[in-house]
Amino acid sequence: MGSTAVPLYSSGFSWGDFELMLQGAGITLVLTLLSGAAGTALGIVVGWARTLDRWYITYPLVGYIDVIRSVPLIIQFILFNSVFAILGFRISPFWSGMFTLSLYIGGYVAEVVKAGIDSVPRNTRRAARGLGMSYFQDLRYVTLPIGVKAVFPAWIGLMLGLMKDTSLIAVLGATPPELLRASQIIINRIQEPLLILLGAGVFYFVMCAVISRFGGRVEARWAIERGVLR
Amino acid sequence: MIEIQDVRKSFDTLEVLRGIDLTVEKGEVVCIIGASGSGKSTLLLCINGLEPIQSGRITVDGTDVHARGTDINRLRQRIGIVFQQFNVFPHLTVLENVALAPRIVLGNSRAEAVDKAKTQIAHVDLTDKLDAYPAQLSGGQQQRLAIARALAMGPSYMLFDEITSALDPELVGEVLDALRMLRGEGMTMVAVTHEIPFAREVANRIVFIDEGRICEMGPPAQVIDDPQEERTRQFLSKVL
Amino acid sequence: MIDYTFQWRVVWRVWPELAKGAVVTLEITVLSMLIGLAFALVFAVVRRSRIPVLSQFVHGWVELARNTPALLQIYMAYFGLGAFGIHIGAYTAVLGAIAFNNAGYLTEILRGGLESISRQQRMAALSLGMNRFQAYRYIIFPQVMRIVFLPVMNQTIWAMLGTSLGMIIGLQELTGATAFQQSLTFRPFEFYFVAAVAYYVIAKTIILASRLAAARLFRG
Ligand SMILES: Nc1ncnc2c1ncn2[C@@H]1O[C@H](COP(=O)(O)OP(=O)(O)OP(=O)(O)O)[C@@H](O)[C@H]1O
Ligand SMILES: [Mg+2]
Repeated sequence: MGSTAVPLYSSGFSWGDFELMLQGAGITLVLTLLSGAAGTALGIVVGWARTLDRWYITYPLVGYIDVIRSVPLIIQFILFNSVFAILGFRISPFWSGMFTLSLYIGGYVAEVVKAGIDSVPRNTRRAARGLGMSYFQDLRYVTLPIGVKAVFPAWIGLMLGLMKDTSLIAVLGATPPELLRASQIIINRIQEPLLILLGAGVFYFVMCAVISRFGGRVEARWAIERGVLR
Repeated sequence: MIEIQDVRKSFDTLEVLRGIDLTVEKGEVVCIIGASGSGKSTLLLCINGLEPIQSGRITVDGTDVHARGTDINRLRQRIGIVFQQFNVFPHLTVLENVALAPRIVLGNSRAEAVDKAKTQIAHVDLTDKLDAYPAQLSGGQQQRLAIARALAMGPSYMLFDEITSALDPELVGEVLDALRMLRGEGMTMVAVTHEIPFAREVANRIVFIDEGRICEMGPPAQVIDDPQEERTRQFLSKVL
Repeated sequence: MIDYTFQWRVVWRVWPELAKGAVVTLEITVLSMLIGLAFALVFAVVRRSRIPVLSQFVHGWVELARNTPALLQIYMAYFGLGAFGIHIGAYTAVLGAIAFNNAGYLTEILRGGLESISRQQRMAALSLGMNRFQAYRYIIFPQVMRIVFLPVMNQTIWAMLGTSLGMIIGLQELTGATAFQQSLTFRPFEFYFVAAVAYYVIAKTIILASRLAAARLFRG
């Protein structure tokens, strides 16, 4: 090697660090997308079941939603992880975290979905049934599409919250690290917290902006189908 | 034929229908009038099983609407219903609104359903709005769309619940014209309405409902022009 | 089968430590909401007034609060401010970050509430001879209160749950205290379960109390 040898140990921000953060952002997105999809599916079923108005369905579901929304996510992460351990499931912190996130966001989505279904006017549903549609045809072709579009902005808000909440999976030490944990690792090494945190902030900001923008686009396209004239 | 025999219906403790007897013959046009809250809408909802009844019997072409074994979804294909408000599907275009039920309920192919839909849309004079969404239609156009949507199922009976009362006055005419046209085609209709002159013009029979009972019933010349009951006179003096 | 014996006594033994943590949790919740509301009241008016630089400053604050994780905001306060020579403790960092966040969200809530009161309401009040202050005091403000009540309550719950992030930087609030105690005994499930119950009770108490308050305030 010549006189310009690269020191073995560098205390500066390196290309590898940037890659780690980029990968972290990717993990954040994957966590958001997967648990967002699973949680939304769960939330639609639970939200719908809530509208059935049967006490033996309503009580347990309200209990689930209530608990999910009254206990810090961090504690939920740790509790479900130890439940898996106690039950003898061998499951990685990453997937245990994914499970918790889905269950968590599902509780919030359920409330939003229920509000959406409830917002469909009674006569619209009667009109569907009056045409001879079965209960499920009404739900599938009329009530859910209308209800879901009505609460879409609230759902986008939930997904934004979910993306920010994925950062808490750090308490499980899940690997590979998502964005904030990756930043923390780099900070520990190069001791430049402000710079790295600002960088992470920019990443989050951009990802949030993309989701919001996407949400705004879809919302605008649906405006007319929601009965709003632009 | 629609036969209603001693029908009683309550919401919790509130008795809304207190023994209704009424027969609607094929080809007949029956207009139901009565004060707000007297049970008119509820009666229509019971006729096609959208609300359960507590006692009595309703049959349509001999099929008991509220019997356990009845395939209600199938029966409803024969009975169209149009409401006062909020009854077109806001998330579907005019064409989709009409074509949806033929496709998923009758099992028509897409092409068949679209064909049927276009015919009925032309029938109510909305052909130039095929791809518009309800939000882009006037109230009168929305109600005509609701009529076309019901007609696409090929019903033998049509139920109308105050379909003009949410409309601006200048839009009422076009919707009533659609009903006149249906009458001309021989459709059997039961219409709840506040448009007394219209009822007098098209109805074979007027039914005046008061507090869940049929108070007076007969041809318009009798019920509207020469009511026998004091309650009918009071009601008419208020609305005319 | 489950071969795990639950041991609740170890948790019971240290309940005063957990209670101390709960007090910290409540403290930060209340303070962060009060600070957040104070800022938000000013911010909401600034946003509506559209004063050039100030309004953009508030807008930036709101966007930062809403589009970055609260944990990042806590890190920023705890580690990041060091670059400016400002070193604060875990308590102040969590309080500051949660208050920062509350201010951002509450600004939007209040602004939405103000905007939903129609111009006619104000006109009607003024036309009755009220002055601007009276119009706000008797007509607009009471209506805004009703509209923002539920979102503000939700924000309070969020703030309360959010204080648990303090655990990550070693603050001994309820979650932090729980983490510390369980690390001495290695009974994570029992400890966190008890903490979860405590949080649930606190959340329900907040909701119940504010419902009662609302019933009195918004009678009629
Ligand atoms: N789903 C329901 N649950 C409880 N009560 C109901 C329900 N639907 C209607 N009612 C009550 O039943 C009574 C009759 O209602 P209905 O809608 O049949 O009256 P109407 O004659 O159609 O009146 P209007 O002219 O105002 O439409 C009213 O007192 C109404 O409040
Ligand atoms: Mg009615």
